[in-house]
Parts: sequence; structure tokens; C-alpha cells
Amino acid sequence: MSTVPIVELRDVSKNFRSIQALDHVDFDLREGEVHALVGENGAGKSTLMRILAGIYTDYEGTYFLDGKETRLNSPHDALAHGIGMIHQELSVIPELSVAENLYLGRQPVTRWGAIDWKKMYRNAEEELAKLGFTLDARLDLEQYPLGTQQVVEVLRTIVSGARVLIMDEPTSALSPAEVEQLMALVDTLRQQKRSIIYISHFLEEVLHVADRITVLRNGRSVATLTRAEASLDRLIELMLGREVDHTVRPITAESEHEQTLLEVKDLTSDKFRDINFRVGRGEILGIYGAIGAGHFDVARALFGLYKLDSGTIILEGETFPPNHSARYAIRHGLAYAIEARRKSLLLDQPIYQNITMPHLERIGRFVPQQAQELAAANPTIAQVNVIPPDPLNPVGKLSGGNQQKVAIARWLTFPPKVFIMSEPTRGMDVGAKSEVLALLRRFGEQGYGIIVVSSEPETILAVSNRVIVMARGEIVGRMVNKNLDKDALMRLI
Amino acid sequence: MNSAIKQRLDTFVDRFRSLQESSPWMRRFSMLAQLWTLIALFVFFSLASDSFSRPINLRNILTQVSTLAIFASGMTFVLLLGQIDLSIATLAGLSAMISAHLYSKLGYAEPIPSLAGIGAATGLGLISGIASARFRIPTFMSTLAMSLIAGGLTTYISKGRVITKVSELSMTLGSKRIGGADGLPVIVIVAIVTLAIGYVVLRYTRFGRYTYMTGASKSAARLAGVNTDRILVVVMTISGFCAGLAGIISMGRLHSAQPDATDSFLIDTIGAVVLGGTSLMGGRGGMPQTVIGLLIYGTLRNGLDNIPSIDIYLKEFITGTVLLVALLINTVFAGRAERDQTI
Repeated sequence: MSTVPIVELRDVSKNFRSIQALDHVDFDLREGEVHALVGENGAGKSTLMRILAGIYTDYEGTYFLDGKETRLNSPHDALAHGIGMIHQELSVIPELSVAENLYLGRQPVTRWGAIDWKKMYRNAEEELAKLGFTLDARLDLEQYPLGTQQVVEVLRTIVSGARVLIMDEPTSALSPAEVEQLMALVDTLRQQKRSIIYISHFLEEVLHVADRITVLRNGRSVATLTRAEASLDRLIELMLGREVDHTVRPITAESEHEQTLLEVKDLTSDKFRDINFRVGRGEILGIYGAIGAGHFDVARALFGLYKLDSGTIILEGETFPPNHSARYAIRHGLAYAIEARRKSLLLDQPIYQNITMPHLERIGRFVPQQAQELAAANPTIAQVNVIPPDPLNPVGKLSGGNQQKVAIARWLTFPPKVFIMSEPTRGMDVGAKSEVLALLRRFGEQGYGIIVVSSEPETILAVSNRVIVMARGEIVGRMVNKNLDKDALMRLI
Repeated sequence: MNSAIKQRLDTFVDRFRSLQESSPWMRRFSMLAQLWTLIALFVFFSLASDSFSRPINLRNILTQVSTLAIFASGMTFVLLLGQIDLSIATLAGLSAMISAHLYSKLGYAEPIPSLAGIGAATGLGLISGIASARFRIPTFMSTLAMSLIAGGLTTYISKGRVITKVSELSMTLGSKRIGGADGLPVIVIVAIVTLAIGYVVLRYTRFGRYTYMTGASKSAARLAGVNTDRILVVVMTISGFCAGLAGIISMGRLHSAQPDATDSFLIDTIGAVVLGGTSLMGGRGGMPQTVIGLLIYGTLRNGLDNIPSIDIYLKEFITGTVLLVALLINTVFAGRAERDQTI
């Protein structure tokens, strides 16, 4: 390994208004190295990555490329300097052939200006062979599984001339076999002396693939470890910033609540397998998983919005018919607030109509009338404390936290038995967050069963009585939320 | 676009918007952009033509847009849902041809022929709806196919010939007047009743609310337990029914069933509904907007006929230009020319 790093950041800081996203961070990447970045949500990984990829151009500190001070102006500029980024969401076009995807926007042309297909296929085949992949360059990309599409995305960036690859959560949507494939690709690239910045939530994966690991916490770089120095415990301690007490073992248990409200048996679909759990009266069950773990799809399936291949849902002794409708779920006492809350609201419509939406047939016999609707909506608006409380205000004018309160309030006119909430506090400021969490606790005290589905450990730990951890579509851990720490959750995914 | 021009246009729009925000009066003014377009056209033609504003001509305008109004009642539902129905014109043709054939060739007495015609159009609308809801074929395609099917059936039944013997019932609906020669045409009453029913359904029923909800955000509607597939099927059926009714009435108005008599109605219907302010994207608009759109359309068409100095070969061109300008004014006034948020 050469001594001069390919990429080096020295003393980099970045503010977003009042928030210090990065605070005097140093980072370097050597040739032929996989350097992983880990940290909790909000630790500054994304910001650092965006600076490296030329997306953020407005920061303090210096950026060295091959030992020379550089200022990148755009992602395009970054690629011209050999730095390419692989985003979490794929940007390949499945309807085009493998070769077209590799040369998207840079297709070789004949001197008449037409695309030189022969040359493109030949080049593509050569490049693929050189990188050790046997793909048919002429085949449409959609014929290949998602993992291969991901590989093509990486190859495209390399064919575009990238020596440095920034990979942002590349495995979150992949199956275990596809993860293996990607790991193999990373190894191949390392042998070819390419350098990779690898960002992931999956610590096991990071320990497996990275040569060095930098841990960020609250915008600061707290340590850079070699693979030999790192361990799961050490990483988690560094991420959380304190000693983890290993003597407190999470208590594994089923529901302590005597009265079972909801029982779920062997739920299986393409996104998850064999999901079993119970929710008792007044109990708050947290389902935690990294993005792509399938926990959000379980929530959708419970509410009748995601097709189940098999499994049983029993609510207060009553078994749901297979693949019940959302309407059936509502009538029988389920409520659901989705993680993308704007999708559940009609932003142009007044608050009260958004609240009465699921219950129109219970409010007016045939004709929904404004007076009746207001009478049904107003108490719930007060109950969750929407600000401003004017029921005629369009929902789109409210802040995110208040929109979420409306999404919750709509289920209170006719109280449900079990309330399923995905990411109840995503994107909210501290005040709104604590308000929503307080609401959840109050619902629990009122005897609802509550399922909180989230990828934010803080949210889960703040309200849950019990926690289920999901990874890659399966339940990997069950524990009681007593002296439970974030590390217990993070260790499992 | 030339960047300097673009910038000036943007400044103009911005300045207009800030004016719009400045007072409640201005806001009300801009919410009624369509109404102002109608008034402007009306005043213009009244001044430009002596014959335009005579009562008899105003009645003509109403008569002229009546068939269109029946089509538009159904189309308003479809567009509110964010869908499209390309089959209405041929469904109407089929409805008329079936009814005329049953009446004159096979000798059935009314109301069987009319009911059969309307029933056939309704049934085909239902089939388009099911095809789109159940099998996720875009309505653009399912109704395009249905348009060919209905057109083909019409050709098959008529063998390309015009049937000139039509029933008393359809003649009454299409061309009779209540209260003597200067009375109100029945066709206008039918149109008003259809629009009114549509208004009541959209404004005052759960189904109407679900239509708006589904059109504005399908995910929100589904999360609220709405069976959005069923809404789509019902809406396409309503559109088929309206087309069938319009076919019978148009036959009565023309005193004959002709295979291609209704062809031009498709574009006119969509044009009138959108001109009124109902969004093609769904969720915005309604029957009152459609009424205004119809009147703008009728005024424009009729007004151009009433200015003798206009070259008749230019009429189509002028209509198109005025429509485009009216649509631009609508979007600017209503603040609907939103940012492109694709990325």
C-alpha cells in the first residue's frame, strides 16, 4: 500500500443552521482499501459521504485528492476525478440491456452519430470479463435478480472511470445470497487496487469486509480501527460512547400480559418469513429492524395492504380471513399509521376530512355532513393537541409533527383494539417527538394494544414493553424492555 | 426557451401571485378564473356580434352543449379519479345504433330499444372498469380497446348504413321543446338533470367523497379502507351509462342513427371538463366547474359562428388557440403551474 492516501479529508466541519453535522473530522482512504463508516442515525455518516462525493460543496476544511488540495464542485466533477457514488436506491434502468446500463449516457457512437451497438457490446463484454463477471451484455437487466442489478450499478460506476467507490447501505435491500455476491465483488475490486468507502448499518458485514473502520458519533470521528482491532462490542461501545455492561443480559420472554389481544402466527410473504408474536391488552410491542428488514411490510400485511402467502391473524379470538381487506381490518379494530405519513393524508383537504376518512359510513348514514363530521373530528383534534386546532385548516399547512398527530387522531373517533404505527416519530423535532411518544404511552394505559415499528432504536426503547428484532425478513430476537440498551438491538441486526 | 423571456415570464407570474396573496378579494377573483374567462368571452362576443346575445341564440348555446353536457357528467367522475375514458364517443354511437336497429329493423317498442342501447354502453363501461381495476391495465388502454370494440360492433350492426327511422322517445328527448316552438328544449332539461345528479352524488354521498379521495391520493384512500378498485369500476360504469344516454339523445337530435355521428365528442368532452378546472391528475374539480367549462366551450363555438367576418376555414384554428390561452390563464390564475418535483 502506498503511503499517500488517495482521498483525505482534514479538519472538515459542516453546519446545517444550528446543527453541527460534522465537527472537525479527519478521514483518509488508501489505495486498495475498504474503509467502513459506522455510526448511529444522525452521527454524520451521510454528511461526510456527501462531502466526499461532491454533493455538498459548502464546508470548512480541506479535501486532498492524491495529496493535492482539491475542491469538488458537483457529483459529476467528483466522477471526473475518479470518485463515484453508489446510492442506496438503485439507479439502473431494468428495461435496458446490461451493456446499455454500463454505458448509459456515454454510449460509443459511430461517426454518423448513431449508437455503435457492436462496439458497445464488445466493450461491455471485455469490461465484464476483466472484472470477472459472466453476464450476457445483450440481455435486459430485468432478467437478472436484484443483487446482480446492484452489481451492474457498481460496475457502471467503475466503467465510468471511478477508482474510489462510495457505497451507501448497499445491502439493505438484498437477500443473504445476494449479500454474498456483493461481498465477493467488493473483494475483487479490492484486489484490483480500487478503494471503497463502505457505509452500513450491519456491523457484522462491516467487520467482515472492511480493512479499517471509522466510527462517527455526534458529528465527531471517535476512532479509526483496523479490522484486527475491531469487534462487535468495541464498535457498539464507540458508537454509543460508553461502556456496555455485558452482565445485564436481555430478558427473553413472550408476553407477560395476561389478556392476549392480537396473536400472529407464521406470517409469511416474499418480504418476511414465519413471523409469530402476541400483543396483550395495554401492551406496547416494538418491532425493530434496519431498513429493508421487512418489519414495515409486516405492519402493512397486518392491516391488509400487503399480500400474505400464509399465516394467521387472530384479534380477540376472531380469526381474520386470508388476505383480508384494509376495510375489514378497520371494522374489526385495527388502526394503522404508515411510516410515510404524507401518503396517508390528503394534504389539500381540511383536517376534519382527513380524520373522518376511514369512518364515513359510521358517521353519516348515507350523506356525510360537515356538522356531523366536525362533531366526530373535533374531540380527537383536541385529544392529540393539533396546533393550530382549526379543523378547517388544510393538513398540508401543518408541521410534520402535527400532520402525524392528525394521522393518529383519525383512529380515535372509534377507538381501535390494536394500533399499528410505523415510524411514529420520523423527521420530527424533539418537542413533537416527545409529545407523540407520550400519546403512545397514554394509549397503552387506556388498554389499546400497540405495535410500534421502527428503525430508530431510541423510539422503540422509549415506549415499548417488549421488543422484537427483525433482520432480513426474520425475527432474530425477542426481549423485555427492562434495562434494555441500544446495543442489544444493534448487535442483532 | 430563451432565458431572458423565461425570466420575465417568471417575474410576471411571481408578481401576479404576490398580488393574488395580497387580498382576500384577489384570492376569490383568482379562484374563479374559469368564470372570468367565460364572462370575458361572453362580453367579447356580445360586442362583436349583434346576433350573439339574443335570447334565441342563448337558448341555442344551451341546446348545442346539452349532448356534450351528458358526456361531460360522466367524464367528470373519470377525470376526478385521475383516469381517462377514450371510449365514450363510440359507446354513444353503439348505444344509438343498437336502439335504432331494435326499433326500426326488429320492431321492438320503446322503452326496450333505448334501455338496450344504454345498457350495452353501461355494460361495456363496466368491462373497461373491471379490466383496469382487476388486471391493472391503464384505463387509457382498456378504454382505447373498448372504443375499437364498440366502434366495430356499431359497424357490424349498421353495415355502415344510416338508420333514419328513430323512436318517438328519443325524438322527444333530443329535439322536442316544452311550451311550444319557443319553449325550453327537453334535451336541455335532460342535461341539467344529469349534471345535477352528478353534482349531488359527488358532493353529498360517501361514494362521491371516495372518488375525490382516490383521485387525490390512492394510497391515502386505501389506507382509509376504501376499496379503490371498486370505485374505479363504478366510475367507468357511470361514464358508460352517460355515454349511452348521450347516444340516444344525440340520435333524437339528428333524427337518425349514424355510425360516426358522435365521433367528435371525445375530444370536446375532455376539453370542456378540463377547461372548467377539473384536473387530469384527479382529485380537483367537480360538476360546477364542468358546467362552466361547458358554457365556455359553447360560447366559443357559437360565438365564432355569429361573427360573419371570420373565415370559416379558420374557425378550428381560432378555437384551438383560445382554448390554449384559456388553459394557460387557468393555471396561472389558480396558481396551479406548480414546480416540477419529479426529482
